[in-house]
Amino acid sequence: MNKTVIECNGIAAGYVKGLNILQGVDLIVDEKEIVSIIGPNGAGKSTLLKAIMGIINISGGRFFINGVEKTNTPTHQIVSEGVGYVPQVENVFPSLTIEENLEIGSWSVKGNIKQTISKLYDDFPMLKERHKDKAGNLSGGQRQILALARALVTSPSILLLDEPSAGLSPVAIKEVFEIVKEINSRGVAILLVEQNATRALNFSDRGYVLDQGRNAYQGKGQELLDDPRVIDLYLGKL
Amino acid sequence: MIEQLGNGLLLGIIIAVASVALSLLYGVTRIVNFAHGEIIALGAIATLFLSSPVDSRVIFLDRFSPLGNNFYISVVISVILCGLLGGILEFFLFRPLRKAEVGNIAVLVVTIGLSLFLRHIYLLFNAKPQNFPLELQRRETYLFFDMTPRNFRVLILGIFVMVLIGLFLNYTRIGKAMRAVRDSNDLASVSGINSDNIILFTWISSSMLAGLAGVFQATINDVRYNMGFLILLLIFAGTVLGGIGTSFGAMVGGFIIGIVVNVSVGLPFMEGHTEAKNAVALAIMILILLFRPQGIFGEKERVS
Repeated sequence: MNKTVIECNGIAAGYVKGLNILQGVDLIVDEKEIVSIIGPNGAGKSTLLKAIMGIINISGGRFFINGVEKTNTPTHQIVSEGVGYVPQVENVFPSLTIEENLEIGSWSVKGNIKQTISKLYDDFPMLKERHKDKAGNLSGGQRQILALARALVTSPSILLLDEPSAGLSPVAIKEVFEIVKEINSRGVAILLVEQNATRALNFSDRGYVLDQGRNAYQGKGQELLDDPRVIDLYLGKL
Repeated sequence: MIEQLGNGLLLGIIIAVASVALSLLYGVTRIVNFAHGEIIALGAIATLFLSSPVDSRVIFLDRFSPLGNNFYISVVISVILCGLLGGILEFFLFRPLRKAEVGNIAVLVVTIGLSLFLRHIYLLFNAKPQNFPLELQRRETYLFFDMTPRNFRVLILGIFVMVLIGLFLNYTRIGKAMRAVRDSNDLASVSGINSDNIILFTWISSSMLAGLAGVFQATINDVRYNMGFLILLLIFAGTVLGGIGTSFGAMVGGFIIGIVVNVSVGLPFMEGHTEAKNAVALAIMILILLFRPQGIFGEKERVS
């Protein structure tokens, strides 16, 4: 039986006080798993990631990392608990160089940062080549790779990805997903929010379908793909 | 016109240091701080109070006589006091406002109120223009401009301070973190940075720089309760001209504004209208922004 990394129990949260987007969501991610969250626009997928990261306030329910309660813990402390997060937008520091982006990513890391960064450079040669370039000058796909690398500097045990494919070309999407698969194969659990449900579920061990801030369905990736209710509601006829 | 260049450089260094301070604070916190001028004035007023001879005519609130300390020690203490004020403002006022998610415009109005409040407290303490207790000096020629040796030292010290800020922002861990928070507060947090600490640090360092700019201004001119407010518009102009949020731009923009203000006095059509000198500097700012809306060093960023 695998250890549970992240557990959400009836999470309620929103951007404005008294107006919750999430109305009691349950979710579990075990170590080394790839779990995706799908659902229509406004279902609360990205909001759930922000609530976990402590970017927005959790107004109900409880949230645990490795079995320890972390409800409403400040963001920077969630990061030191081994949670990495790549937001959908604003996921690099545009006025900082690539190297500085990685240095900032390693803020909470103690020990030899230079060595960690040079190891990342081996995995992502593009970043090494352009390490003195400002991140604002990168293409969308390159930015996404830098954003992933920035989140990896801390050697997290779980990585939260908010629509990593948004706005990317098909080639770049393929590359990003290959990288995510590779990260997972090294033992990092992945919690993925995706707009493209078919791709997400094909890619994942398990999936959660959210609707209007609540759990609608959940199950193994392939099972959800074949579930006629899910197909009807969210995927359209295939 | 050339004899005004020396004065221009001196006003330039005051505006440049004050603009860098304002730009750092705006960049990291998105606060347009109208009380910036009052922090500048505090630097000068505190130095005046700490350093004037005990028996001098500088009497605060008609009751307290000055402390008569060594001038340089007084400057250091005053700059630290300004940092303390900045820290207190952040901790007890602006942080609670930020946590309550009060909008930018409301916070701007708060800073205007704060500016008025502080300025009138200073007025209670010290209504008349005063001079620092420093001996009079004769002007000397440096290269092709004239200024007193003391003012020349102010200029050199100002340039030195700005080089230090540049090195600090580019090469230290905390400097890089300040630039990261400036780019995106949320992303800095998810990178493990406690952005509250960085914002507090920014308030303190920006206020210390503002206090130093106040000491510069009072050394070159005099101490007035509204001295910061009088140059606030020029500081805003310097910041905008260089490119909002870029420290290097604020330095250059501040220098340009300071020089143009003083050099414009020598223009033929300005004869008898020297009080219009600020207008010329602001007109040039508007002209440059028409051609370079992002400011001289502001960067257009790729949006993806």
